[in-house]
Amino acid sequence: MVVPAMLAMRDIRKSFAGVPANDGISFDVGEGEIHALLGENGAGKTTLMNILYGIYAADSGSIVWRGEVLGGHGPKEAIAQGIGMVHQHFMLVPTLSVSENITLGLKSRGHPFPDRRRLDTDILELSARYGLDVDPAAKVASLSVGERQRVEIMKLLYRDARLLILDEPTAVLTPGETDGLFRVLATCKGQGHSVILITHRISEVLAFADRITVLRDGARVATLEAAGATAAGLSTLMIGRELKSPARRTAPAASLPRSAAGDRAGLEARAISLRPVAGKGLQSVSFSVAPGEIFGIAGVDGNGQKELAECLLGLRIPDSGKLLFGGLPVEGLGPRQRKRRGLAYVSDDRHHDGLVLGFDLAENYLLGKLDDPRFVRFGLVDRKACLRGAGGAIADYHVKTRGPTEEVRLLSGGNQQKLILARELSSGPAIIVAFQPARGLDIGATEFVHERLLERRAAGSSVLLISSDMDELLGLADRLAVLHRGRLSPAYDNDGSLDMMRIGLLMGGQGMAEEACAS
Amino acid sequence: MSDTQGFAALLGELSTFAAASVRMAAPLLIAGLGEAISETAGILNIGLEGIMLSGAFAAFIVAWATQNVWLGIMAGIAGGMLASLLHALLGVGRRADQTITGLALNFLASGLTSYFFLMAFGRTTSLPECPVLPAVEIPLLSSIPFFGPVLFSQNPFVYFAFVATGLVWLLFRRSEWGVILHAAGENPHAADSAGLDVIRTRYVAAAANGCFGGLAGASITLGTLGFFMENVTSGKGYIALVVVILGRRQPFGVALAALLLGAADALQFRMQTGNSGIPSQVFIMFPYLMTVIVLLFSIGKTRDPASLGIPFDRGRR
Amino acid sequence: MRFLRTLGFAALVLLLVLAVAAALVIAVRADPGKAASGFLRGAFGSFYSISEVLVRATPLILAGLGVSIGFRTGFFNIGAEGQIYLGATAATAVGLLFPGLPALVLLPLALLCGFAGGGLWSAVPGFLKSRFGLSEVITTIMFNYIAINVVGILVRSVMKDPSYPLPMSPDLPEAMHLPVILEPTRLHLGLVIALVAALAVWFLMSRTAAGFRMRAVGLNPRGSLVAGISVPANLLLASALSGGLAGLAGASEITGIHHRLLEGISPGFGYVAIIAALLGRNHPGGIVIASLGIAALQVGSSSMQRASGVPSSISWIIMGVLVLLILARRPDRDRVAR
Repeated sequence: MVVPAMLAMRDIRKSFAGVPANDGISFDVGEGEIHALLGENGAGKTTLMNILYGIYAADSGSIVWRGEVLGGHGPKEAIAQGIGMVHQHFMLVPTLSVSENITLGLKSRGHPFPDRRRLDTDILELSARYGLDVDPAAKVASLSVGERQRVEIMKLLYRDARLLILDEPTAVLTPGETDGLFRVLATCKGQGHSVILITHRISEVLAFADRITVLRDGARVATLEAAGATAAGLSTLMIGRELKSPARRTAPAASLPRSAAGDRAGLEARAISLRPVAGKGLQSVSFSVAPGEIFGIAGVDGNGQKELAECLLGLRIPDSGKLLFGGLPVEGLGPRQRKRRGLAYVSDDRHHDGLVLGFDLAENYLLGKLDDPRFVRFGLVDRKACLRGAGGAIADYHVKTRGPTEEVRLLSGGNQQKLILARELSSGPAIIVAFQPARGLDIGATEFVHERLLERRAAGSSVLLISSDMDELLGLADRLAVLHRGRLSPAYDNDGSLDMMRIGLLMGGQGMAEEACAS
Repeated sequence: MSDTQGFAALLGELSTFAAASVRMAAPLLIAGLGEAISETAGILNIGLEGIMLSGAFAAFIVAWATQNVWLGIMAGIAGGMLASLLHALLGVGRRADQTITGLALNFLASGLTSYFFLMAFGRTTSLPECPVLPAVEIPLLSSIPFFGPVLFSQNPFVYFAFVATGLVWLLFRRSEWGVILHAAGENPHAADSAGLDVIRTRYVAAAANGCFGGLAGASITLGTLGFFMENVTSGKGYIALVVVILGRRQPFGVALAALLLGAADALQFRMQTGNSGIPSQVFIMFPYLMTVIVLLFSIGKTRDPASLGIPFDRGRR
Repeated sequence: MRFLRTLGFAALVLLLVLAVAAALVIAVRADPGKAASGFLRGAFGSFYSISEVLVRATPLILAGLGVSIGFRTGFFNIGAEGQIYLGATAATAVGLLFPGLPALVLLPLALLCGFAGGGLWSAVPGFLKSRFGLSEVITTIMFNYIAINVVGILVRSVMKDPSYPLPMSPDLPEAMHLPVILEPTRLHLGLVIALVAALAVWFLMSRTAAGFRMRAVGLNPRGSLVAGISVPANLLLASALSGGLAGLAGASEITGIHHRLLEGISPGFGYVAIIAALLGRNHPGGIVIASLGIAALQVGSSSMQRASGVPSSISWIIMGVLVLLILARRPDRDRVAR
């Protein structure tokens, strides 16, 4: 190192229940530097930063911050020292105003009866200086994701943070918002702030970072200058092998033998509308998914994706429009009847939507088989059949577990998702709704999920893939459309002709109206 | 002539009834304000009944022993705080289920107060009496027709309830402390990451709840009854929980809800005294029935704090 | 290892509870020796005292089973007390309406109506929760107060025995008495019914699809919804079964012990049943054991009060301390890795 580092973390170790999350990581950040921390899910990036921010205590290792040793500190001390963190799950109180969120925990003048108007003026001044547009009086609940992120960054700048840690900040942003974020970070850098960027997106790192540290399996693999790095080199460092491109084109949709469903769409939505609640609704959403097709719905989270999925599942009743499974309307049918019509659902929210954490594997397997006479006869559960079924699923889907009687909460996220896939896909569903099915999974598990979906496509299922991850969509979908503020763009074929620029603009809502008119 | 007399009599009736309603509302309001603070910070304390009972008993026994009402009130506050902090110790400190802890607290308070009452007095037919805080007529204001007797000729607990409503409003709406309580109940992880001590904030809220709840209990024994008997609070703690829900955890809302259910209680007493041959249970039942009916009107209008009843654990989300 | 820790914890709890009890006995200046012997004699001292413990345990087992079904489905039924009263009322009504029926018809009908009475009474808060999201904790408690007063009204009006000054119903026909299974004690067939109910509840909750659905709803309502399990329907079912078992407890008290409806047929059985369910970890076997333990505690305390003047409400304090101590132990999930 030529310049003395602003931050030096040395040989940081941290284990959870005997499993090392950080295995002797060393890491430096200089003044006015944007340093990217690159790695897969589970590589130990967030753990390392939570240790720096004082949320976890390291098992061993040292942290030197601006020449002083940090240790045994909590977030409060970290903030006082000028270290601030924007978490992946925003740390905002939605029912409070922007201004109250920004000053939360500070003893402003006049404490405990601060002069709110004065604070608002200060906030506006600061926001002008960094080009961060926020309305101090607005309730956080009414803000978009991008706006909330700006509030988070303002929170740090208001506290005079010298080092900003951002955990996967672009995961929730449109391409346009992402550019905006990096302009702000450049301004921060220009004013002498350092930035640590936690991410797994190689393209961003190459475009915006000064230096890159790559983590893999809890250990540091390399630290290098961004200027000399290449995408291929970084991805090899990150995963330890060459990235395999998904084998989508093995069985093109057109060449598939048509099933008994004939030419009818497996899943069709006609002008589904849902009155907005808290700004999230659906406006005349139409699409159809043929058997043997993966139809992708792109877009940033919170634009009506969850609502659409819940309409398909039967958890919500659309205000108008028609839903058809295999050409037959499903109005008035609940989730149970729709499942009987061949619907399977794979959600990103394993803990709430997919599993009952207090149940064992066999019971979670049964959760999707309650109408299957092999497992339930005359209202009685055949426990032995459940154990056999779960055992088969464990073997077929390579679920790492001690056995079908283990509680699922003890499984890793990837293995939990494999169990859900096994349960949902083993019955050969005609329709699959996959909602961010690989979120939070490591590369291996992600590939596994994708392969299973492609398998089902080859077997003739109609797959609806809702995702905010463009790479996932481009790798899997036959056609895709963009959902923005409850409106769906026309569908585009996912082949060489796809205009990525246009998709990016649609995700930010630009061109949405014209597209809708044109169709 | 007889018309005006009739009218005057009716007005008199009405003002007596309104005054009784306000008096009956006071314990509900005081306890409700405390619970509103607690719930805003994220602690659901079903043990409010136990807190009030502890307060009522401690206040009675000390006032009886020292013949000093003020010492009794202090003891009532201490008793309520002790009970509430026991709840917090488990529900905040040990992250136990707050509903079950609250229920257990009620059982314990009921058992302890009855045990010590019997220990002190045995099974007597004549209830031992303690001094009562007399009503204070506020000069000038108490001579306003109708409103004077209703609002300004009450016992000091009632005045405290009025003042406390305003103070809690100030706390919630104008102070940074209110923002902190709110953050602790809505998103404790956000409060934590902003450097606030969520656990301490919740303990403080629990202490405030105990203080108010104990005072509410004291207002029953030292404000109106002048004696203690087993389970003297007779479900008022639970009714206060409804008052909090109905008032949407806002001080003035809580006050209105308390007045409504206080009026139900006053009506019940009034009808019981009119000797009609109807079993008194018909009237005794009335406030509880009203509570359920009133609860029906809260449907869809309240939104609980997002972390209500969920113990804070930094390592978990 | 884990077993040893649990054993150590149990020993610690027992020690602390004994210490609290001793302190309370000394506080009232009672003779500890006399108190202890009074307690033990009352609970275990004789054939008769053991039978009294079993009699006391019967309604606790039934209502405790009911409470546990509610708890496991996510319906915090605090209303067993009121449901016991309603079940007792319904059973009494059967006896008063059809006094001429033969025992083989009358008795099952009375028990069935007791079950239905408690079940319907509990299904109202169940409906309010599943349809409108109203907290069942509060509504069931309010329903307790209402139910007790309803019984108070009935035994003073339509159900009153006109030949007697006290508020109580007339004696019920002999055909409606549950047979005593151990002469000359009061131990009646209710105990057998309670044990059969424990078996039935175990079977329902762990062997049937209906029980599986209820448990799923209790552990993860959102996940159940997604899996196609109706949350409102299962809450309603659980509330009805829960109240039904408490109602059966009331009917069993009427047909087995009192043979008429009167105020105060339940000295807080419904509340104690909650403790029995908690201590029994919502498992039928655990509830039977916990109910027997609590019944012994209560019967022993009453005897101790007679022998040494220690107020019998000591049993409530002990139960409260017991539950709080068990709550003070961090739940299992906290010790699991993330």
